[in-house]
Amino acid sequence: MIDQIKDLKKEIESTEITDEDSLETFRLTYLSRKGKVQSMFGQMGKVPKENRAVVGKAMNEVKQLAESRFQDAKDTLNRREDQIFSATDDITLPVAPAYTGSLHPLTKTLNEMKQIFFRLGFDVADGPEIEDDFHNFTALNFPPDHPARDMQDTFFIYKSDDDSSEDLVMRTHTSPVQIRLMKDTPPPIRSVIPGRVFRNEAVTAKSYFQFNQMEGLFVDKKVTMGELIETLVMFAKMMYGTDVKYRVRPSFFPFTEPSIEMDVWWGSEFDGQWLEILGAGMVDPNVFESVGLDPEQYTGYAFGMGVDRIAMLRYGIDDIRTLYENDIRFLNQFSA
Amino acid sequence: MKISYNWLLNYIDTDLNPLEISQKLTLSGLEVEEIEIFGSDFENFVVGDVIHVMDHPFADKLKLCKVDIGNQEVQIVCGADNVETGQKVPVATIGATIPVPMKDGSRLKVKKVKIRGEISEGMICSESELGISDDHSGIMVLNQKFDPGTPLNKALNLRKDTIFEIGLTPNRPDASCHIGVARDLAAVLDIPYKNPYDKKLKSSDSLDHLVDIQISEENKCHRYVAKIVKNVSVSESPGWLKNRLRSIGLRPINNVVDATNFILHEIGQPLHAFDYHKLEGQKIEVKSFSESREFTTLDGVKRKVPAGTLFICDGSQPVAIAGVMGGLDSEVTVITNTILIESAYFDPSAIRKASKNLALQTDSSYRFERGIDPNLARKACERAAALIAELSGGSIVDGCTDVHPVKTDSITIPLRIQRLNQLLGTKLDVSYVVRVLNALEIETKTRGTDKLDCIIPTFRPDLTREVDLIEEVGRIYDYNNIPKPDTAPFITPAPISNWEKMHNRVQLIATRLMYKEITTNSLLSDKEEGYFSDEDTRIRTLNPVSQEATTLRTTLLGGFLKALSYNLNRNARQLRFFEIGHVYKRSDKGTWIDEIEEHSKLLLGLCGFKYTDNWANEAAFFSVFDLKSDLESLFRQLGIFQYLRTESSSQNELSYFLNNDQVAKLIRIPDHLTDVFELNYPAFAAEIDLTVIYQNGFADIDQTFEQISKYPPFEYDAAYTVNAQVSAGELTDRIYRTAGDKLVNLEVFDVYESENLGKDKKSIAFRFTFLDRNKTLTINEVEPIVQKITRALESELGANLRS
Repeated sequence: MIDQIKDLKKEIESTEITDEDSLETFRLTYLSRKGKVQSMFGQMGKVPKENRAVVGKAMNEVKQLAESRFQDAKDTLNRREDQIFSATDDITLPVAPAYTGSLHPLTKTLNEMKQIFFRLGFDVADGPEIEDDFHNFTALNFPPDHPARDMQDTFFIYKSDDDSSEDLVMRTHTSPVQIRLMKDTPPPIRSVIPGRVFRNEAVTAKSYFQFNQMEGLFVDKKVTMGELIETLVMFAKMMYGTDVKYRVRPSFFPFTEPSIEMDVWWGSEFDGQWLEILGAGMVDPNVFESVGLDPEQYTGYAFGMGVDRIAMLRYGIDDIRTLYENDIRFLNQFSA
Repeated sequence: MKISYNWLLNYIDTDLNPLEISQKLTLSGLEVEEIEIFGSDFENFVVGDVIHVMDHPFADKLKLCKVDIGNQEVQIVCGADNVETGQKVPVATIGATIPVPMKDGSRLKVKKVKIRGEISEGMICSESELGISDDHSGIMVLNQKFDPGTPLNKALNLRKDTIFEIGLTPNRPDASCHIGVARDLAAVLDIPYKNPYDKKLKSSDSLDHLVDIQISEENKCHRYVAKIVKNVSVSESPGWLKNRLRSIGLRPINNVVDATNFILHEIGQPLHAFDYHKLEGQKIEVKSFSESREFTTLDGVKRKVPAGTLFICDGSQPVAIAGVMGGLDSEVTVITNTILIESAYFDPSAIRKASKNLALQTDSSYRFERGIDPNLARKACERAAALIAELSGGSIVDGCTDVHPVKTDSITIPLRIQRLNQLLGTKLDVSYVVRVLNALEIETKTRGTDKLDCIIPTFRPDLTREVDLIEEVGRIYDYNNIPKPDTAPFITPAPISNWEKMHNRVQLIATRLMYKEITTNSLLSDKEEGYFSDEDTRIRTLNPVSQEATTLRTTLLGGFLKALSYNLNRNARQLRFFEIGHVYKRSDKGTWIDEIEEHSKLLLGLCGFKYTDNWANEAAFFSVFDLKSDLESLFRQLGIFQYLRTESSSQNELSYFLNNDQVAKLIRIPDHLTDVFELNYPAFAAEIDLTVIYQNGFADIDQTFEQISKYPPFEYDAAYTVNAQVSAGELTDRIYRTAGDKLVNLEVFDVYESENLGKDKKSIAFRFTFLDRNKTLTINEVEPIVQKITRALESELGANLRS
């Protein structure tokens, strides 16, 4: 009996099913009510009782085999079934790419910078682009005859003949928001301030009358220069990679003392150069006094960086005008 | 500012090479922006003795010279007229490279060549070929004392130099000269430096019998020192001096002027030499005039000098613009016999103003306007007189006039070491701090364990406070050496503001709605801005950089239309742009500054083809409804849609109001603007006022989940005939107001105009979606609501239900 079952199994395994007809033949031969599988079960009565369990199991296996062969063959044939295609159903036809939204490289760069400072515990503040003399200059310790207060360098909206405190300018940096923050919020303050700034400069590949900065301010008790540098290093590592080569060097700004600038090494080890990426320093005591904070009690640091410059470095853009032309062929190169 | 490496070595003794020096300078606050090589070591150049000169047999203008170059005699073809037997001349031997580049920028390498058939084994050089002057009139003739074969660099006492271009920060007038830079370097390297000016001066008699000096404006001229040198012979300077000046980019003039320039760049005191006999009445007066006047400076330019500018005058007229430039008429010339040396201190802001008004910056004004050492004038004048006497064979007239009405004393500033370490994050000890300050010539007196009294030298006008001294110590210590703090402070961060959250959400939504971000100018031409705003709201800058950028934008529309125009001109056919930016206008409602409304706005805009012609789609332009749909999606995502009310003042505009504030405007760009901006496709824009959304308290939205209804909605279609003037907006407005909360959606599935409806009639077909969250709605509940709507539309808008 077991041999008969084995023969049937071999027969089922070796039967070829290539089309609808052979599939139907297979069904009729093995799986129909009068088929070989059913008639195999009919012989169970002849099997001695003690063998029935073993034989029954073998018979069931054959039945499952026949059923699965049938189903597999049927599925395969169904898949193979020819559909009716028209010429425009041709899946190889070329298509126009879907329109996609995107962010400007300046925004992408700024967002990346913001994300880094969020991780370092900074929040975001903002302020006006038209500023008064107090916030843009006086409170930031610019002396009255500083060149930045000159018409040659700064766009004036209003200029008083005798009292410069009434002057209005297009802000020349994001630093005036430092003043607004310190006047409005008691320390500790830990904010970054991105925004558009203006300088009276001709439009060339290297200069534009508007650009973007991101300012940072931390004011608390006992803030140190060491912490400032460490924060800037953390930024540089997150922005440019943990193996970034950097240095800080002394510089000068009216509103910080001491003042520094940070450079990163750009290019290969032998053929690169130091590029300045930001200016920073400890908040000048005169700035604290102008907002009514006691410089003996509070210390703080501030930093500022050019978003346009960082974006240009990042994406290899060599002409700042490209950023404000809005050529779709340029914008298309940046994803959302 | 150019600083010569070789020149620095006059004052300090160091083995560091120029590159190492430049790094030290940069890291201590004198940033070296560029490094260039000046001059040459003259490798393979020697002194030659011209033994014999004969004409070249095949060339009229050339000569054949036999030259002894020490170890051998060579034949050299030479084209100079002045070559003669017996001369000692500089010879570039085979293998030498001519230091001055040729016209194409390459440098000539001397080889053995045949010139017109005659062998030439070297080159006899002119001064210009050696790069030591512009003189190319003939070969250079050397002093007879040199033996043939002497290396040329020894004979000329010249070697290669490295020039540092330093970007001097405005707070460091003391470092605008070689001694100042040397002082900083010595402090960094912890080595001594030699200062030729630190000798104590003896008091001296005045020169009142020879010159009468008056300062009429003491607030602008704190000090005026004069010395006289007589019997000078004005001539060319010696080679070392010419080389020094040339190395830092100055043109040598004569031994008198060169001496004053040398001292300016050595110690930073600007000096001026007058021809004493050209000073009318032997009188000098420092004064300004109440009217502007013409004056010819020694560069030969006739300048209009504004009233109030400080002049140096003689008995009858101005002879120099104080601190800026001397006059042509009193210039030292070859016939000058007696000179008067001026060494003065002028007020920085007076000179800054003069220099700016004249648009003339000189080495002299650059230093005065930053603030020179007020106590240097006499020392510099004495050194100048000695140097000029030495160079010109003149003799110094005994005595010195020193008019010094405003004296500057050094100040004392206390410094707390603990404060220094607290601010820098360092653990420096007193002895280190004292060492650094003393190296910078700041004298210190210890007070207690933690305090120093620091006496500030008068050449450091920038040091006025404790924090300034902390910076001095920090920069010499090198900020890169500050130890990394054990922990970086991390205070509890403030929450991200609602404004920032909204800003980010808007950015995200706009990109998801498939708009590309643009950044346009905040300043436009008056004409461009004039299309969008009234004259009385517009803000202009007083000093525009060009006529293209005079007026602040009141809307983002102008920039958008310019961006469209730019791209359409470059064959773009499908444009979807957004921008977020500030706009500005005059208004009684000032945002930050009184009477200036500065809002942050978002613009969404479309132009051109929604579908370009291809196998899958028929070509179609964007319509205003494409934009409207995006706009309303944005409102929904911002969670404000249900609070908005619309008003349409014309077919081209639809305004959205939040409470009573206009929050957005949807615009079909009218024909006159598409013409002006040369748009050949229809364009649409929507401008959304983010500041208004924020001010109305909608910047942050609570997104809460609402149970999805278990019961199905009930849809009901109804078409109404109305007069053509009635807008769809009015109908939907009434429907929403009448329907109650079971109406959850309203669509228009057909708009239809036809004669059959009657004259000036149209039909609008609505699909209402009703939903009850508590039960399944049936026609019995829905019909009464529709009837109520129908009655309202009939009575209020004259609509009729079409059956």
